[in-house]
Amino acid sequence: MTKSSQSNGKRTATARRSSGDKPVSVMDAKGKSGRSNDPGLDKDELLLLYRVMVMTRMMEERALNLQRQSRIGFYVPCTGQEASHVGTAFALRDSDWVFPAYRQPGIMLLRGAPTQQIVDEWYGNEGDLCKGRQMPVHNSFRAINFVSISSPIATQLTQATGAGIAAKYRGEDTVVMTYMGDGGTSENDFHAGLNFAGVFNAPVVFVCENNHWAISVPLERQTASETIAIKAEAYGMPGVRVDGNDVLAVYQVAKEAVQRARQGKGPTLIETVTYRVGPHSSSDDPTRYREDSEVEAWRKRDPIERFKAYLKTKRIWTQDLEDEMRAEIKTEINDAVKQAETKANPSPASMFDDVYRDMTSQLAEQRDELLSSGQLGPDEEGAFPL
Amino acid sequence: MAVMTLLDAVNDGLKTEMAHDDRVVVFGEDVGKNGGVFRATAGLQDEFGEARCFDTPLSECGIIGTAIGMALYGLRPVPEIQFLDFIYPAFDQIVSEAAKMRYRSGGEYTCPMVIRSPYGGGIRGGHYHSQSSEAYFCHTPGLKVVIPSTPADAKGLLTSAIRDEDPVMFLEPKKIYRTMKAEVPAGEHVVPLSKGRIVREGSDCTVVAWGAMVEVCEKAANELANRGKSIEIVDPRTLVPLDENIILESVKKTGRLCTVYEAPKTGGFGSEIIAIVAAKAIEYLEGPITRVTGFDTPFPYTLEGIYMPTVQRVVKGVEKTFSW
Amino acid sequence: MGIYEFRMPDIGEGVAEGEIVSWKVAVGDEVIEDQDFVEVMTDKATVTITMPCDGVIKDLKFAEGDVVPVETVIAVIDQVGEASSGHEAKTAVAAASAGSATAVTVAGTGTAAPPAPARAAPSEARARPGRVLAAPATRRRAREQGVDLSLVPGSGPSGRVTNEDLAAYIEGGTPTAAPAVPVAAQAQTREPVVVPQPAVPGSEERVPFRGVRKKIAEAMTRSKFTATHFSVVEDVDVTELVKLRKEIKETYAEEGTRITFMPFFMKAVVAGLREFPSLNATLDESSEEIVLKHYYNLGIATDTDNGLIVPVVRDVDRKSIVQLARELNDLAARTREGKVNPEELKGGTFTITNAGAIGGLFATPIINFPEVAILGVHKIEKTPRVVGGEIRIRDVMYLSVSIDHRIVDGADGVRFLNVLKSCLEDPKRLLVEI
Repeated sequence: MTKSSQSNGKRTATARRSSGDKPVSVMDAKGKSGRSNDPGLDKDELLLLYRVMVMTRMMEERALNLQRQSRIGFYVPCTGQEASHVGTAFALRDSDWVFPAYRQPGIMLLRGAPTQQIVDEWYGNEGDLCKGRQMPVHNSFRAINFVSISSPIATQLTQATGAGIAAKYRGEDTVVMTYMGDGGTSENDFHAGLNFAGVFNAPVVFVCENNHWAISVPLERQTASETIAIKAEAYGMPGVRVDGNDVLAVYQVAKEAVQRARQGKGPTLIETVTYRVGPHSSSDDPTRYREDSEVEAWRKRDPIERFKAYLKTKRIWTQDLEDEMRAEIKTEINDAVKQAETKANPSPASMFDDVYRDMTSQLAEQRDELLSSGQLGPDEEGAFPL
Repeated sequence: MAVMTLLDAVNDGLKTEMAHDDRVVVFGEDVGKNGGVFRATAGLQDEFGEARCFDTPLSECGIIGTAIGMALYGLRPVPEIQFLDFIYPAFDQIVSEAAKMRYRSGGEYTCPMVIRSPYGGGIRGGHYHSQSSEAYFCHTPGLKVVIPSTPADAKGLLTSAIRDEDPVMFLEPKKIYRTMKAEVPAGEHVVPLSKGRIVREGSDCTVVAWGAMVEVCEKAANELANRGKSIEIVDPRTLVPLDENIILESVKKTGRLCTVYEAPKTGGFGSEIIAIVAAKAIEYLEGPITRVTGFDTPFPYTLEGIYMPTVQRVVKGVEKTFSW
Repeated sequence: MGIYEFRMPDIGEGVAEGEIVSWKVAVGDEVIEDQDFVEVMTDKATVTITMPCDGVIKDLKFAEGDVVPVETVIAVIDQVGEASSGHEAKTAVAAASAGSATAVTVAGTGTAAPPAPARAAPSEARARPGRVLAAPATRRRAREQGVDLSLVPGSGPSGRVTNEDLAAYIEGGTPTAAPAVPVAAQAQTREPVVVPQPAVPGSEERVPFRGVRKKIAEAMTRSKFTATHFSVVEDVDVTELVKLRKEIKETYAEEGTRITFMPFFMKAVVAGLREFPSLNATLDESSEEIVLKHYYNLGIATDTDNGLIVPVVRDVDRKSIVQLARELNDLAARTREGKVNPEELKGGTFTITNAGAIGGLFATPIINFPEVAILGVHKIEKTPRVVGGEIRIRDVMYLSVSIDHRIVDGADGVRFLNVLKSCLEDPKRLLVEI
């Protein structure tokens, strides 16, 4: 068995992580970038990144509140991981594809998904693109090549590889970026996805957001490997370890990986070293199994604050800019929530659509039976415990 | 005797059996330190140590495959799959290996293990936290499928499942984990497998249901009693191997049958029960057989309340058996 | 010692034939088990088959290069040593070498033909047109009661026979509906007749004695053993009646109504019963009273494909001949379709039975117990009769009446028939008196 937990019964996840190369960074802890690996983004790009990260954080805070107020049923926060996914996705073109896990909400904002539709999905109302079929945060946006999210872990990895193979088959230079957590690296699909990508030289960038926790299971229980990045070697692709809370570093690393893929040089595994500051979901209470001190240490390394400091050094950030931006975002979110709450549930008949392309006689019969029964209300409702 | 929830009864069952038999080991995602996302395994690691109750990497296939190996070697593993919806990476191990191990080895290798998993809808879990997929496992020879509907049965059946020499799918109806409270005998409590239970005696129609649907049927039976119909409810408790007799005797008495299951209609296990009755007791039927089921769509999030069989739908389903 | 016939093996995977590539043995060779025997090529592979037994090659039936269908005998071996025991069927040939090494099995060829299935007992009655609808439990009850469901009128949707229909049929819908009055003891105290198996098998056929046949048997027995039957027969010159009917037949044929002789007979019966009411009665054995009925519900015994039923025409005295004709037409149609209601089989006071169309001069009908009398009407034939001192060809028929002598004496029986005779010989009387 592995190392037992601390004397107070709670665990830390990073106790063993000491050796191995230091992950790539651009900014130091205080946001200063004196390194030659600054990706050199222009002002608009930097502000866009900043805005998306801030909005991700603000949406999450609102959503968690709504959940606690029982106005939505569930939410998956990504506190502390905003840079990790937004920064990597920033390296993509609009025509590239994203196969997310379920903790990358900032990518939707980055690629232009309408806020209203994101919020409608939380409510599962008739405005939801997914027609109220999935739990909150399980978004899908075909228009921005953001592939439908499911709950099972790592299933997106093999699919991403398949999409990459298809792009190659078509002779297109599409790059596919896909995400997982440290927990995802234990699933079958991690092995199969990376193995196939290696064998078929697929243009896929695998981003493992190592946030050190899979609900209550710490990293050391997830793998005996030194790092996650070194697993890449087993599949014949390069593995890069990057400071996940450094948005410029993750961008830089992702940019290189995307370029490799686009040039036909194959897949890359990126490990972003970050931390899940918040709970796994609105149904989780991490104080039961985690050291508060560990969480606090990471909270101090907040990626948004760090980037803000960087923007300050570049004289891009001002308090006015911050206030104005936050005010705008707040209004946008509030409007979307208000709107969402005026919308009705999807119709009972809609439940029977999209099972297949064509309605079957059985489904039509079941639909008609339900509609004519007049029993269109539930007996009672339960609450999701996770 | 103590009054406890179905969830606590599971916990009590595990605790009692782990104390009784040191071959029993419990593992899965978040079951050790955290006591399980539903708290079904709370306290087990503290009481029995990490060697007997521990967390695993995030891999259902790994969990079940290793469990099989442990069972072959002589332990009694009780792995947990966090939600039945997540069991599919392990489906190969369950169907190809655990289910066939005894048969293919001429009885030399056996696989005594219990796969515990919360199943079913009613907690606003959408497609991937609500599936009632017992039919896949009922359709696999070599597996036993057990579904409790009360706290006492949860503890008693779990004990029997752990003591059983064959692999058992122990599916826990999460909808009533915390809402179903009743008396549970303390200490060792055994409820045999393959024995159904008459939930409620009646004379006019037999309703067969399991898991969270039993409660729904009880409410429907009350409603129907007001309308002058006496409903007998049978909970098979073990779907495979099924206690056919209890169902057949009931139908012979009442002359009518309605099965209720929350799973999608087509291929649901209630259909198998209907087939058995049609084969063995058709001459006792006074009217048509009906079933009240989920629909042939993925389990929806917002519309969950109309997807799952409601009291009114069950009432209607039963009344149809009188339509002649 | 025995002969082993070796057949082209079916090596599976859908192979239907094989080519003999080369024989490894020759006729006359002494061979031992497992030595190389023959090389065979199929779509899937070329395999070398080894000897299945020890012996001497007696015959090789095909040459190298021949393509032979699976299961054809290709070699005959004289086995030595222990006798073979049905060897040619189901002998597994040792696994082949080369190619796909699938085990080769010779499928059994000598299995005995399965025994011919026992002849199903003939169904108890011919089904009426279309399937009978009934709940499974209703069918079971019908079977247990020996009732042919196809005879039971159904009042449920689409003519479904309900449990109530069945119960009603069993209680009162049969041709011999029993009243609530307990019946006098029947002569059921004898030993049952047992028929042993015939000396020559197949010379006898056993037909199940149940359903309507059995019900009729019970009813007839009850009638004959209770009512003390006597019969009287009379002949009737119906020449005038025949003429009358002929005249009016056409008129009513246009509207689709068939005028038979029956309405006339029924009216004549009413005339007779008015004069002799004791023939329109029932003996109430519990109160020891003869119940004379002042209404006239005549049962018309009808032979159908499914057996005898007696639908009742009510209040015959109040209906005209045409009305009666219409009612009879309707009854006949519905009887053919099996759509007679149980109600229509009840409540008769007197029964008429008509086998005239088929044949027979006269008969001694059995009373439709617990009625008191039954009239048989028979065929009308051209017959020479003395009329006005001369021989004329007249239409003549017989009437036969059976009467319960406990209630009615012979003289009244004869007088009753006289009334009928005079009505039918002079149909004007029907107009004037009825």
